[in-house]
Amino acid sequence: MAKLIGDLSRRDLLKSTALVAAGAVAAPAIVSRANAQSKFDWKRYKGEKIDVMLVKTPRGDLLQQHEKEFTELTGIEVSSEQIPEQQQRQKAMIEFTSGRPTFDVCMLALHVQKRLSYKGKWTDDLRPLINNPEMTNPDFDVADFGEAGMNFATQADGVINTLPHFVDFWMLYYNKELFAAKGVEYPKSMDEIITAASKLNDPSKGVYGFVSRGLKNANIPVWTSWLLGQGLETIDPKTGKLNTDGPEAVWAGEFYRKLNKEFAPPGTIGFNWNECQTSFMQGRAAMWLDGIGFATPLEDPTKSKVVGKVGYGITPPGPKAHHSAIFADGLGIAQMSKKKGPAWYYIQWATNKENQLRMLKAGAGAPARQSPFKNPEGTQSKTFAKDYFDCMAGSGKIGRPGLPQIIPVTEFRDIFGVALTNTLSGADVAAELKKATETFKPVLEKSEQG
Amino acid sequence: MSQTTAPAAVPRDLAAPRAATTPSGKPHDFSRKYWVFAVPAAVVIGAVIVFPWLFTVFMSVQDWKVGGGIDYVGMENFRQLMADTRFQEAMWHTLYFTVLGVALPVVLGTAAALVFHREFPFRGFLRTVFVMPMMATPVAVSLVWKMMFHPQLGVLNYLLSLVGIGPSEWVFNPNTVIPTLVLVEVWHWTPLVMLIVLGGLAGLPKEPYESAVIDGANGWHMFRYITLPLLWPFIMIALIIRTIDALKAFDIIFVISEGGPGTASETMNIFLYLQAFQFYKIGYASAVVVIFFGIVVALSLLLLYTRQKSKWNA
Amino acid sequence: MSAIVGSNRLTPRNILAKAGFALSVFVLVSPAVLVFLWMLSLSFKNEVDNTAWPPVFIPSPPTLANYVDVFARNNFLLYLWNSILVTGGAVLIGLLVGVPAGYGIARSKSAKFAILILIARMTPALSYLIPLFMAFQWLGLVGTIPALMITHLVITIPIIVWIMIGYFENIPTELEDAALVDGCSTWQSFRYIAFPLAKPGLVVGGILAFIFSWNNFIFSVVLGGKQTRTLPAAVYNVLTFEQISWGPLAAAALLVTLPVLLLTVMAQRQIVAGLSAGGLKDG
Repeated sequence: MAKLIGDLSRRDLLKSTALVAAGAVAAPAIVSRANAQSKFDWKRYKGEKIDVMLVKTPRGDLLQQHEKEFTELTGIEVSSEQIPEQQQRQKAMIEFTSGRPTFDVCMLALHVQKRLSYKGKWTDDLRPLINNPEMTNPDFDVADFGEAGMNFATQADGVINTLPHFVDFWMLYYNKELFAAKGVEYPKSMDEIITAASKLNDPSKGVYGFVSRGLKNANIPVWTSWLLGQGLETIDPKTGKLNTDGPEAVWAGEFYRKLNKEFAPPGTIGFNWNECQTSFMQGRAAMWLDGIGFATPLEDPTKSKVVGKVGYGITPPGPKAHHSAIFADGLGIAQMSKKKGPAWYYIQWATNKENQLRMLKAGAGAPARQSPFKNPEGTQSKTFAKDYFDCMAGSGKIGRPGLPQIIPVTEFRDIFGVALTNTLSGADVAAELKKATETFKPVLEKSEQG
Repeated sequence: MSQTTAPAAVPRDLAAPRAATTPSGKPHDFSRKYWVFAVPAAVVIGAVIVFPWLFTVFMSVQDWKVGGGIDYVGMENFRQLMADTRFQEAMWHTLYFTVLGVALPVVLGTAAALVFHREFPFRGFLRTVFVMPMMATPVAVSLVWKMMFHPQLGVLNYLLSLVGIGPSEWVFNPNTVIPTLVLVEVWHWTPLVMLIVLGGLAGLPKEPYESAVIDGANGWHMFRYITLPLLWPFIMIALIIRTIDALKAFDIIFVISEGGPGTASETMNIFLYLQAFQFYKIGYASAVVVIFFGIVVALSLLLLYTRQKSKWNA
Repeated sequence: MSAIVGSNRLTPRNILAKAGFALSVFVLVSPAVLVFLWMLSLSFKNEVDNTAWPPVFIPSPPTLANYVDVFARNNFLLYLWNSILVTGGAVLIGLLVGVPAGYGIARSKSAKFAILILIARMTPALSYLIPLFMAFQWLGLVGTIPALMITHLVITIPIIVWIMIGYFENIPTELEDAALVDGCSTWQSFRYIAFPLAKPGLVVGGILAFIFSWNNFIFSVVLGGKQTRTLPAAVYNVLTFEQISWGPLAAAALLVTLPVLLLTVMAQRQIVAGLSAGGLKDG
């Protein structure tokens, strides 16, 4: 490992020198030379063309920006497109089940599609490719992928049908200026979030203590974040038992309701990430619980009024446990693809150390590999303060899935999302969760039957 | 607008000289020869409209999930639907939305037509401006509306604050979401009603007004007893078209509220979309379509009936 | 009617009435003006101004970055071309089969067919999506322009036939009957007598069908592919996950609406004329 990292930074060093000296042409050449003696040949699929379907995110942007580099390296043409999350999932579902997908590589939201993709035989097991030295670049280093991401990508029977690309940690954004003005410290426990929010809440000035998603579906991770504070996932990963209407779930629901009703801007019941982001960016909310992947625009002066004032805090510990809800995206090869070789080359490139480092440097979210965090270059940033990287690293150590690893995730999010929204308009938390659990139970049972 | 009455007037004059009779003196019955004209359309309609209907009926009695097997389950989907409280709520939301989404544009559109029928400076230009929303692509405009509704930072609450009205939560509150969506629908479709009624106004005869003025009638009386009855057939058309389109409304609800908050604006269309393209329950979704279809058939028969009636009255 | 409304003498009552009238015009026009100007304003500002409070109305300095962004990040011209193909094709086919059908139905007084059309017109477009999607899947047509065009026929044909029935019903039959007696074929009497008289209906039907088809987005979202997406679906895709982007969105929204808007402004006279020419009166 140490040697590999050494290699990497030396290569990067060379690369940046080359950049300064003579433009951006040097890097691929060096990579090719580095592999000259191995059996692996980057140019094996020269002249082929593949289709890639990505989700519209800053990470998709990065991959598209550097596509040329892949083509120079391999001679493979890439036709890629980014589609917004919701439609991309729908398209993946439709095209995979139609048996004629129009893409060779597809990005999947593993927190939603992990089990679905395996059951539907959407993507290939990547292990034979990873273990084949003729197909996999010796520098690739699978062991470098962090545990959180790899767990998402690995099915119960050990099949790895995607490689993790990005891991999202849920954390607490806070506005340092507002905190300082009221002399409030960053909350050390979930209960302290409430005390802090009540001190910071100042509706007469249009400033609210706390904001998080209220819109159904989107609001589930907020609730599961609190539930993780009780040491529980919504569905026990080992026994498959639903923990959604027990005292812990009700506590988390009450907590969710209290924050979103008493200290949040009016209308949060319909807020998705983008309304929350807008409020926070304009300095109108003191705290915002969401994924760290949403940080980029906060530090962009053309978009945000809180540049340099954002604090990045790890989700505070709950009454019984301290966890961060995690989510992950992965890249897989369509089973129906006729260009599996070039597709695998693309995935290797997209998830290589250099691209993962780029993701971290650009503030486009947390890469699935560990090496970028160990690379000083990765965590030295003009845009992001140290606590941003500390928050990622710290969250990574306490990560647990923010959504249940089941097939009907969409139904789960819909049914419980509605229940949570109902509590915001006055319904009883325990009764709503009980009702939702009863509705969902048969759906879950049916999905597990086959 | 002088050409507006042309098609109705010209042929009658031209046709007057000759009567279409057979040598035996009986009128020709050509009706049987005309069905040929409808054959191409019938073929296309059969393929893209009638086939989907039949196929939907077939699917509605199956337990069919995308990626899974197909099992015949008879009426089971319908039984489940009837017990599905979310579906019942969706029907009420649809009714609520449709009633408001028909009544408001028809009233406002008629009023607008009366205004634009008068001569005033820049009338042509202002009328074009007024009609513009009708052309706007609903998805695109809806996304902009959604941002305008932001309770903290939306421009609408700002404008309200200028005239001293407190902020509204618009689509971010279960109680105001449907009226707010109707507001967008009104913005979109009032122009169409206005155009239809304006067309009616253009063809109104002058004589009744002249004699009414002589009789000393005031403006309201003339509107109530002359204009309104003469316009009624046009208002009826507008009513029918609005009912059809309000019932079909999907884009703006889907984009602005996605049926939320919670399920507060989940209409039958949104419910259908969720079942079909989020949960991929093809059988269940088809059952929704079949029920919707039943309502549509009933409604169109009712409309045809009223159309006949309004025709006699006109 | 304008003559009846009031004399031009400037009595206080008259001034008040005029002011009231001006106010009502203002009230009617302002929602449209507000939304379109706001979109225009959004499209020329950067994001920090677009979400500012109090809102920034006049872009200073105005930026073209949003428009550049829309063209740089999306294959806008391809989507425009797709939209033209899909909507153009669906409207043309719709007119080609719909106009004669309207004539045939009106003349044969086939109430059953008319009801069928009405029901087709009322059925939500969404409900055709599942079966057509299945059919295209079997035929391997998902994600192709013909599939989208065929699906859009669901929108265009009922509108066109529905409007044309009304038009032809309002054209008196005496002239055609006379022509038939003189030995014309039914086709000739349609082509040379009825059809020219129903042209305003053709314009209205064509334009309404065009608007509805152009603006439809759900078909393209589900059935469209990377190369075959239509404009409204592409606009929906401008929304970025994890980053708001109101400026590019507003720019894209204006660009999509522009073709229909221009069409209507140019054809407004015909639409008003067509709508009032009787086609809808009994339709």
